[in-house]
Amino acid sequence: MRDRSDRGRADRALDRIQTAMDEGMPLDAVRGALLDLASSIDGGSDLAPVADRMAFLASTVTAVNAADVIDSLRSLVAEDGDVPEPLHLVDAANVATTLVEPVLAEAAAEPVVYDDVAAYAADQELGAMFVIESLDHLATIEATILQLEAAPDDVKLLNDVFRPFHTVKGNAGVLGLNSIQEVAHKFETLLDLVRQGQHPMGPSEVDVVLRSVDLLTLMIRELPARAAGQVGTDVSQRRAGLLDMVSRIIDGAKEPELSEPAAFAPASPALGSAAGKSDRRDDGQSTVKVNTRKLDALLDMVGELVIAQSILSEDPMLVKSRDERLNDRLGQLKRITSELQRSAMAMRMVPIRQTFQKMARLVRDLSRQSDKPITLVLSGEETELDRKVVEHLTDPLMHMIRNCIDHGIEHAQKRAAAGKPITAELRLSASHQAGNIVVTVTDDGAGLNTEKIRAVAVERGLIAEDAGLSSDAIHQLIFQAGFSTADRVTQISGRGVGMDVVRRNVEALRGRIDIHTAPGRGTTFTIRLPLTLAIVDGLVLRVGGERFVIPTFAVRESLRPLPDQLHTLQGRQRMVRVREKLIPLLHVGEAFRIHGACRQIVNATVVIIEDADRPLALVVDELVGKYEVVIKSLGDAFGHVRGVAGGAILGDGRIGLILDAGGLLALSAETDAVGTAA
Amino acid sequence: MHTRLSSTTANATDTGRRQADGGGKYLTFALGVEEYGLPVLKVREIIKAMDITHVPQMPSHVRGVINLRGRVIPVIDLRLKFGFEARENTDHTCIIVVDVTHLGMIGVVVDSVSEVLNVSGDDIDQAPDFGDQVTTDYILGLAKVKNSVKILLDLDRVLGGEGPVLAEGH
Repeated sequence: MRDRSDRGRADRALDRIQTAMDEGMPLDAVRGALLDLASSIDGGSDLAPVADRMAFLASTVTAVNAADVIDSLRSLVAEDGDVPEPLHLVDAANVATTLVEPVLAEAAAEPVVYDDVAAYAADQELGAMFVIESLDHLATIEATILQLEAAPDDVKLLNDVFRPFHTVKGNAGVLGLNSIQEVAHKFETLLDLVRQGQHPMGPSEVDVVLRSVDLLTLMIRELPARAAGQVGTDVSQRRAGLLDMVSRIIDGAKEPELSEPAAFAPASPALGSAAGKSDRRDDGQSTVKVNTRKLDALLDMVGELVIAQSILSEDPMLVKSRDERLNDRLGQLKRITSELQRSAMAMRMVPIRQTFQKMARLVRDLSRQSDKPITLVLSGEETELDRKVVEHLTDPLMHMIRNCIDHGIEHAQKRAAAGKPITAELRLSASHQAGNIVVTVTDDGAGLNTEKIRAVAVERGLIAEDAGLSSDAIHQLIFQAGFSTADRVTQISGRGVGMDVVRRNVEALRGRIDIHTAPGRGTTFTIRLPLTLAIVDGLVLRVGGERFVIPTFAVRESLRPLPDQLHTLQGRQRMVRVREKLIPLLHVGEAFRIHGACRQIVNATVVIIEDADRPLALVVDELVGKYEVVIKSLGDAFGHVRGVAGGAILGDGRIGLILDAGGLLALSAETDAVGTAA
Repeated sequence: MHTRLSSTTANATDTGRRQADGGGKYLTFALGVEEYGLPVLKVREIIKAMDITHVPQMPSHVRGVINLRGRVIPVIDLRLKFGFEARENTDHTCIIVVDVTHLGMIGVVVDSVSEVLNVSGDDIDQAPDFGDQVTTDYILGLAKVKNSVKILLDLDRVLGGEGPVLAEGH
């Protein structure tokens, strides 16, 4: 018999709701259904007294208690069941809390995972700015902490280290980059304590700050790539370890691996006082950040203006005209344009200071690693170079310094025995000389062992046993690939890779590197570079209707060969004999398939060029002249065309392809190979 | 078959003002007897034919480079690119400098440049399917203007493939 009473109906309703919930009815719907049930009880019903409580219970339905709520409701509804004590709101709240607490506790026990990548991706424009500025700040911190190491009580330096951490922490927080913010905050705390005199600034502190710079640089630098989907380095362990280390330092625990052996004089490089002073003077300069593409576009325009102005002033009509006023005005235009060009070139120039400061860090680290006390003295850091040159100078300098420290500078005992000061001196200097930039790396170490170099070179078959080479020539051998006189290969150097890269990089910058050494006294490497990469002094050549430019420094000589100087190999004219030397020929018109190129070599001109001591004779139609031309890259679109290094804008605005000696040599070897195979 | 251009054409967002149905402004030019159109927002400028510096080791349709106010721009001969026979320059020969996604500015040599037309989406038909032999994915559509048909080109597809070619040796 069906119970048609309200209780019966309510009970059945509860059944239905329970079943629906078990079958997956969403909680909201469950709650809704129960509330509906409670509100459907009218005033005259048996259930009226419990309607309120039913409604209250229904409203407390959550994932954890839904089943319990329905049970409680059933109890309330049951005809002969005990009506439970009125549920006090307080008790209900307790019930709810008891049910919810374990869930909350579980959530809290999980490690907080900061998602910096998501935060960065949420606002990439701000993020990109953060990356640029923060890396700048980190570089400042690194440079300043090294100065602070030499002068731990300098309050200004302390502030100069504290402030960037504070800024990075703040900015990271704004962007939601919590992992980064956490690290920066930790160090801000440490430095604040030092600032307030509550903690010393010792070697452990300096070390840990440097580690933070490395870690933060890595984390920040990887953000854009990781936001784009690339997998980054997992620094979670390193980060946790570093934070832990700082905590312990703050608490005053001794860090065994960071403390120095008592007898050892601190190996930190003291930056030359000249360097310190000029750095601070610079703080007053105001600068603006300009997007480099905008700068390049501006410089391109100025270059074009110079050319347009020169085309104008060489216009035959104007040259013929005797009008004084006109000539005056043209002269004025020319002066303004030259001045504009000088200013524009100056904008590309940046001081070498930052590069030198990177070296300071390297010297400090290497000095510790190799256990040799070294002082680094810098001079001429305000010397300005074309920014592209500066970028490419870093690697060679690093290699040379590694080399000096590893091979040049002797261990303390040896130095003492030789009567030298125990602390070695490494000098880096930069200056302008005769239109060039001169950068020198000098050490007061043992100097190059000429005899040993010669022996190793002979052993490796690089030179003949009896080759009468000058000391200079022998020293230059260390730039050969694979050359190394190291008895042991260390982590630092000795693999014979570094110095070869150095020379190649320097030559890519159209520079030279010379060595001067005195046994027992030390070695100086001198790098000479052109002031700017944007302009090259070139020889303009004509082949058919095309014009090419070859940088003057690659040109040895030019001549009109006589028939008896030309030698064939397998039927093709392959070589020219110049003063008893046979030089391979490359016919540019043929190699580049240029129409109208002069075919007969005897009517053509031969230009002898050289790349890394290898000569090549180029057959061209004629020499047009020697000019300073503006170099333009051919752009990414042209990738790598062999034998062509870029484009030069000639005096009439047209483009002449710049020939690259090395590429041409490769091309000629190839065409020869093809020829012989045929 | 009259079909609307799908609104998911690759560079609908690039060309901004191009409507979802492909309607918009197009620069029309001629190669031989055929007339083509380029979305006008991709066109940077039009210059008269000038001396092009030949760059060796490039396929024949890559004519070389020119100096455009201090910038070196690669120049492609569209006739050769489309497989037509080469032709001598005439007084009408022009170089259209276009902005290609990911490649930057590229110049294309064309026989003559006509005008900028406002083409409504209604007048654009999808390119017919010629089967597997001919890929027409570089054609945005065929515009019927007065009594002629202009072939609307998707520049990024026509020249986008130049990237690997131009970067030979990388």
